[in-house]
Amino acid sequence: MAVRESVEIDLDRVDRLIQEQEAELEPRHRASIEYRKNAELHVAGGVASSWQDAPPHAIFIDRGDGSRIWDIDGNEYIDYHLGYGAMVVGHAHPAIVEAIQRQASRGTHFAQPTRDLDVIGENLADRFSLPLWRFCNSGTEATLEAARLMRAKTGRDRLIKIEGTYHGHHDSLMFSVIPDPELMGPREHPVTVPQAPGIPQAFADLVRVVPFNDLAAARQAFEERPGEVAGMIVEPAMMNCGVVLPEPGYLQGLADLCHEFGAYLAFDEVKTGAALAYGGAVEAFGVVPDIVCLAKAMGGGTPCGAIGATEELFALVVGGEYDMAGTFNGNPLTMAATRATLTRVLTRDAYPALDRLHGLLHERLSAVIERHRLPAYVTGLGAKGSVIYSPTPVREYRDALGIDERITYLAWLFQQNGGVFKSPWSKQETWTLSVAHTDGDVQRYVENFETFARAVTT
Amino acid sequence: MTDIDPARVAELTERERARVAERLPRSIAFAKRASQSLAGGVACSWHALDPFTIYGDRGAGSRMWDLDGNAYVDLHAGYGVMVVGHAHPKVVEAVRTRVALGTHFAMPVEDTVVVAELLAERFGLPLWRFKNSGSEATMDACRIMRAATGRDLVIKVEGCYHGSSDGLAFSYWIDVDEAGPADRPVPVPNTAGVAELYGRALRVVPFNDLGAVERVLDEDGDRVAGMILEPVPMNVGVIEPEPGYLQGLAQLLHGYGALLAFDEVKTGATIAAGGARERFGATPDVVALAKAIGGGVPIGAVGGTEEAMRVLADGTMEGEGTFNGNPLSMAAARVVLSEILTPDAYVRLEERGRSYADGVRGVFDRHGLSATVSAVGCRGSVHQRAGAPRNFREAVDADADIATLAWLFQINAGVFMPSGDPWTIGIAHSEDDLARSVEAFDAFATAITA
Repeated sequence: MAVRESVEIDLDRVDRLIQEQEAELEPRHRASIEYRKNAELHVAGGVASSWQDAPPHAIFIDRGDGSRIWDIDGNEYIDYHLGYGAMVVGHAHPAIVEAIQRQASRGTHFAQPTRDLDVIGENLADRFSLPLWRFCNSGTEATLEAARLMRAKTGRDRLIKIEGTYHGHHDSLMFSVIPDPELMGPREHPVTVPQAPGIPQAFADLVRVVPFNDLAAARQAFEERPGEVAGMIVEPAMMNCGVVLPEPGYLQGLADLCHEFGAYLAFDEVKTGAALAYGGAVEAFGVVPDIVCLAKAMGGGTPCGAIGATEELFALVVGGEYDMAGTFNGNPLTMAATRATLTRVLTRDAYPALDRLHGLLHERLSAVIERHRLPAYVTGLGAKGSVIYSPTPVREYRDALGIDERITYLAWLFQQNGGVFKSPWSKQETWTLSVAHTDGDVQRYVENFETFARAVTT
Repeated sequence: MTDIDPARVAELTERERARVAERLPRSIAFAKRASQSLAGGVACSWHALDPFTIYGDRGAGSRMWDLDGNAYVDLHAGYGVMVVGHAHPKVVEAVRTRVALGTHFAMPVEDTVVVAELLAERFGLPLWRFKNSGSEATMDACRIMRAATGRDLVIKVEGCYHGSSDGLAFSYWIDVDEAGPADRPVPVPNTAGVAELYGRALRVVPFNDLGAVERVLDEDGDRVAGMILEPVPMNVGVIEPEPGYLQGLAQLLHGYGALLAFDEVKTGATIAAGGARERFGATPDVVALAKAIGGGVPIGAVGGTEEAMRVLADGTMEGEGTFNGNPLSMAAARVVLSEILTPDAYVRLEERGRSYADGVRGVFDRHGLSATVSAVGCRGSVHQRAGAPRNFREAVDADADIATLAWLFQINAGVFMPSGDPWTIGIAHSEDDLARSVEAFDAFATAITA
C-alpha cells in the first residue's frame, strides 16, 4: 500500500449525507418496514438473529438467484452479503438445487450416516490437509467442538483467543468479540470481556485474549500459565473486523508456539474456508493447524458445520472417550448440498475466476480511493475483501478503533440505494463474491463506491 | 416373575449379533472406507452402533432402507425427528420449491414470522427466535434466563440431556458412582473436554423431586437464574413426570425470582401439539424446541414470555447465528406445523402410541418378564427393570444386556429402534408396522424365557 496524502473525511458532512441516503432508502422499503411491525409480535425483536436487524431497518428478503436477491418490496440487488459469506456458490445454483431436490425425495434425516460422507470427508482432507472429519450444524457448533477437543486431548482448560475475533455464540469463546474500549484493558494484557449478558463472568477466567499478528504477546500468554493452556483458536485472517490478513510468519509461528507448550492450534475457517482459496487459509497461507473449523460456504446454503483434525486429536473420539454428537450431524440433506458444493461448484477451477474478479474489484476500488484521496485501502483474498477506512494499515482489532463507523454505514447506504446489498453492521466494509458474480456486478459496486467517494470528499 | 439366565442372554446376543453382521456387508465395507476420512466412520458418535453402524440409504413414510437394501419399519425416526414420516410429499414440495428461490440470506424472511406465529399459538408463548439445533436452542434458553435475571446459577435435572453446549454438558451420560448422593447430585461432565468450571454454575437435582428444588432455592435462591429440564426426560428411555411435579416448579422458582425453561426438543410437537404445556398444564417461561418441528430439516427454536424474552426484544442481549430463521428451515417448519401435524394427526398418534405400548406391555406380562413400558403419547420406551423409573438413577438401574438383546431382535426383525432412546411412532406408521415390532418383542421374550 503506497503512502500518500489522504483527505480527512468531514463527519458533519457524513451525518448530512446519511440523513439524505436514509431518506432516499426508506420509501423503497415500505413493505419491509410494515412487515417488521407484524414480525415483532411473535419474533423477539422482529428478526431471527439480532444481527439481521441492521440500521436503518430490517430488510426482508423474498428470493435469490445467482448473484441477485430481491426484497419483499421488489427491489433487486446484487448480493455481496451472501448471507455473511455463505453463498459463494451463488443463490439457487442449479447443481445445489438438483442435489437438494433429489435428496428431499429420498429422505433428509435418519440419524444414521449415509453414503455422501466419504466423498465429502476425502474432499475436505484434500483441501485442508487434515485427515479426519466430523459434521455439525453451524460454525458455533464447530468451534465448540474444537475447543473441547483441545481440552480433552491435553487435560487442560485454558484457551487463548484473539481480541476482536468471533467464533460463534457458545459460552467458551464468546468473549472479546467487539470489546468496548472502556472495558478491554491494556494491550499487554487484554481483559476477557463477555460479549453478551447472560454469560457468567467466571467463564471468562478460562480464556486469555491476545492481539492478532503479535507472536510475542501470544508467547507471553503461554508463559504466564505454562502447562495450563489447551490451545489457541484463531481466525487465520480476521474476518469480523473487516479483513485483516496475517503477517508473514505469524500463523506458522503460532503453530510452533502452541506445540512448544504442548498445546494445539485451531483455525476457525468458518469465514475463510473455501472462500479465500480452494483450501481456505491453509492453502492461502501455507500453514496446517491441528484443527480446522468450517461452516457457511461449505454447505451451499444449508445449515452446516464441520471440524477437521489430526488422527492424534480424533483418537479420543474414535476411541469413545469423547462423544462428539448432535442429532442433525451429517444429515443427508446438508450432506447432499455440501457434496454438490465441494465437488461440483467450488472445485479447483472455480477459484481462478474468483481471484480474477477479486483483482478487478480491488484494482478499481483502489483507483477510486486514489482519485479521491480517501483515507482508506483495499484488502482481502479470493472471494473475500474489504475496504478499511484507515490511512494506516490495520493489523489488529485496536488499530481499527479510531475508525468512525458512520463512514462505513454511509458507504453501505450508497450501495443499497445503488442496488448493491452489502453486509450490514460491520465497522469495516466487507464483501463476498460468488461464482455467479460478473464483471458488470463488480462495475456496479465500483460505481456506487465512486458516488460515495465523491460525495464525502468534494 | 420369570428368572432370566444371563448365560442364555449372552448366547442369544452372540447369535443375534452374528445375524446383524450377515445383513450388513455393505454397511460394514462402507464403514471401513468412511473411517479413512470420518472419525470413526461416522458424522456423529451416536451413529456408531454396536455391533455395526447401519448406513442409511433412503426413507419413505414409516420405512427406511439401509445400504444393503434391508427395509425397516423406522421407530427411531432420527431421534424423534421424523414424526411426519420420511419424504412426506408436502415437506418434499416445500423444500423443492424453496431451494429454487434461495435458501439463505442471513436476512429475515416472511416465513420466519409465519412459523413464529404458529409456535406462539401452539405453545402459548408469544416471542420466538430460531436456531439450527436443539443444542443451540437450550444454550440460548440458559443465556436468556441468566440475562433476564442477572444471575448465574442454573438448576439442571440429573439424567436430562440438553445437547452439547458446555454450560449444560453435565450429569447425563455419567457414572452414578461419581455423581454424589441421589438427592443432591454433583455435576459430572458428560464427556472429556468439558471444563469442570462450567459445572460450578449448575445445581443438579433428581427428577420428580420438588423438595430437592426447594432445597437448592433455600440455599442459593437469590443466585438462581432458572431451572431447565426436559418435562419428560427422554434420553434414558422415557421417564414419566409424577402428578404435580411439573405443575409445581414454576411457582417454586418464581417465588425466588427465578425462571423455568422446558427443553421440549424431544417432546415439543410430539407428545401433544403444544407439548408439555398442553399435555400437563404446566407453563414454563422459556421453551426450547428442535427436531420434529422441522420435518427433517435442521432447526431449533427458543420461545418465551414477554418478560423472559425482553432481553432479546430490546437488544440488551444479542442472540445470533448465521443460519437462524433461514428460508429452507422455515419453509419445512411452516408446512409441518400448519398442514401436517394437525389436531387429527395427534389423535392418531395418541391412539397408535397407546395401542403399541399396550401391545408391548402385553408381551412382557404374558412371559412374566419384569420389564416396564413408560410411554407418553407416541413416544415411549422399555426399561428392563421392575417398576417404572422415577428418575435417572432408577432408569440406569436396569439390565443393559437384556436391553441390548431386545434391540438386536428388533433390528433383525426389520424394525429400526434406537438403542436406549425412546421409540417414536409417526403419522405414517400402520398397525401392521407396529405389530411387527410387538412380534419382535414377543420373539425376544420367548427366546430368553425358553
